[in-house]
Amino acid sequence: MIEVVLNDRLGKKVRVKCNDDDTIGDLKKLVAAQTGTRADKIRIQKWYTVYKDHITLKITRSTTEDMGFEYAEVHYSSIYELGRDYG
Amino acid sequence: MANRTDPAAKSIRGTNPQNLVEKIVRSKIYQNTYWKEQCFGLTAETLVDKAMELDHIGGTYGGNRKPTPFMCLVMKMLQIQPEKDIVVEFIKNDDYKYVRVLGAFYLRLTGIDSDIYRYLEPLYNDYRKVRRKSPDGNFMLTHVDEVIDELLTRDYSCDIALPRIKKRWTLESLGVLDARKSVLEDDFEEEEEKDEMEQDGLEEEVAHEKDYYRARSPARERERDWRRDSHRHRDRDYDRDRDYDRERGRGRDRERDRDRDRDRDRYRLREEKEYGYERERDREREGRERDRRDRERGRRRSRSRSRSRERKRHGRSSMSPRRHEAEDGNAPEESKKKGKKEKKEKKEKKDDGTDHPDPEIAEANRIRASLGLKPLKL
Repeated sequence: MIEVVLNDRLGKKVRVKCNDDDTIGDLKKLVAAQTGTRADKIRIQKWYTVYKDHITLKITRSTTEDMGFEYAEVHYSSIYELGRDYG
Repeated sequence: MANRTDPAAKSIRGTNPQNLVEKIVRSKIYQNTYWKEQCFGLTAETLVDKAMELDHIGGTYGGNRKPTPFMCLVMKMLQIQPEKDIVVEFIKNDDYKYVRVLGAFYLRLTGIDSDIYRYLEPLYNDYRKVRRKSPDGNFMLTHVDEVIDELLTRDYSCDIALPRIKKRWTLESLGVLDARKSVLEDDFEEEEEKDEMEQDGLEEEVAHEKDYYRARSPARERERDWRRDSHRHRDRDYDRDRDYDRERGRGRDRERDRDRDRDRDRYRLREEKEYGYERERDREREGRERDRRDRERGRRRSRSRSRSRERKRHGRSSMSPRRHEAEDGNAPEESKKKGKKEKKEKKEKKDDGTDHPDPEIAEANRIRASLGLKPLKL
């Protein structure tokens, strides 16, 4: 189980517990359950890499280093930056 | 050229008609290949041909919010602004249901309130199936009348914000519209009379419902026929329609079903008091939880709040051996808790982790189960 921190740079910071074989689509649903936006309105990205729904979190972890947080333009209701995972 | 509104077009609600679609969706449409290839230089006539080729409706879909051809055609109609007669023709045509839906959608965006109700309500009788593209790219089944219902009652459809229109009863009270006459009214009356006979044997709780669905006296029944032909609405129906329309949508049968179900549950609960107080509480709690989950899922603020709600629930039904606590395996002493124990054992066999000792994890697993995900691997 990992805990993922997501930040939309507009004040919503969300911590979600999930498995590392969950996909981004599942993560979006969990975030939607927690924040009240619709799951299909959420875009999850790390810096400018937008993650598509079928990617699993295990893969996002292994292929990206920890980047500093940068501001991302909000094109949809919510864009979430994946933060550091805490085991 | 392609993206500018026809200079002869009127402004709608004080703005460029294309602005009815919000900026982001609009840019998505302009960048779409269907728009660039097929929708270039369309006129009202050629638009009809394109509309006849439609085979699904929908908003934006996929990871990068691709618009459907339906949306592109709506945009095109907003751009060229066909005349009202043409739009009404779209709606009246019977052969092509997607043309109908397209016309209805355009009218909903650009028409005046009374027109919208007047032209869209007859479409409630169209029960043909319609394919709808859901936001994740798969197709869903829906029907023409469901789509019309969505247009008339919701604010948002196919990723376009629908302009506000006055409520139906406002227009009725202004005298602009007549009371809503459903084509299924006769069927409803027959149903009601059947209900009367069924409910005669039931308890008082239904009394208030009975008043609501009062049977007609034979004299009234006789009057009904000629009254219907003279296009005069019945007073009681008028009130009833008004109430129903205020409840948004064709809530008539929905409400009756809901009420009937609620009553049925109430009877069931009362019966089960004999089997065990806890069982009822469990069922209530589950029912409440289900309702809560369904209704409040979006509004759940922070975990602590839900945790405290859980704690309250723990406290309230503390008499029963909680499945989370240590006395899980102990045999209940009172005989009335035997039923509870069987139920508890069944619950422990569930493997979706919602009975985890840590309430946070249990809560997370509950959410996951409701979303259809597997439980957390610890």
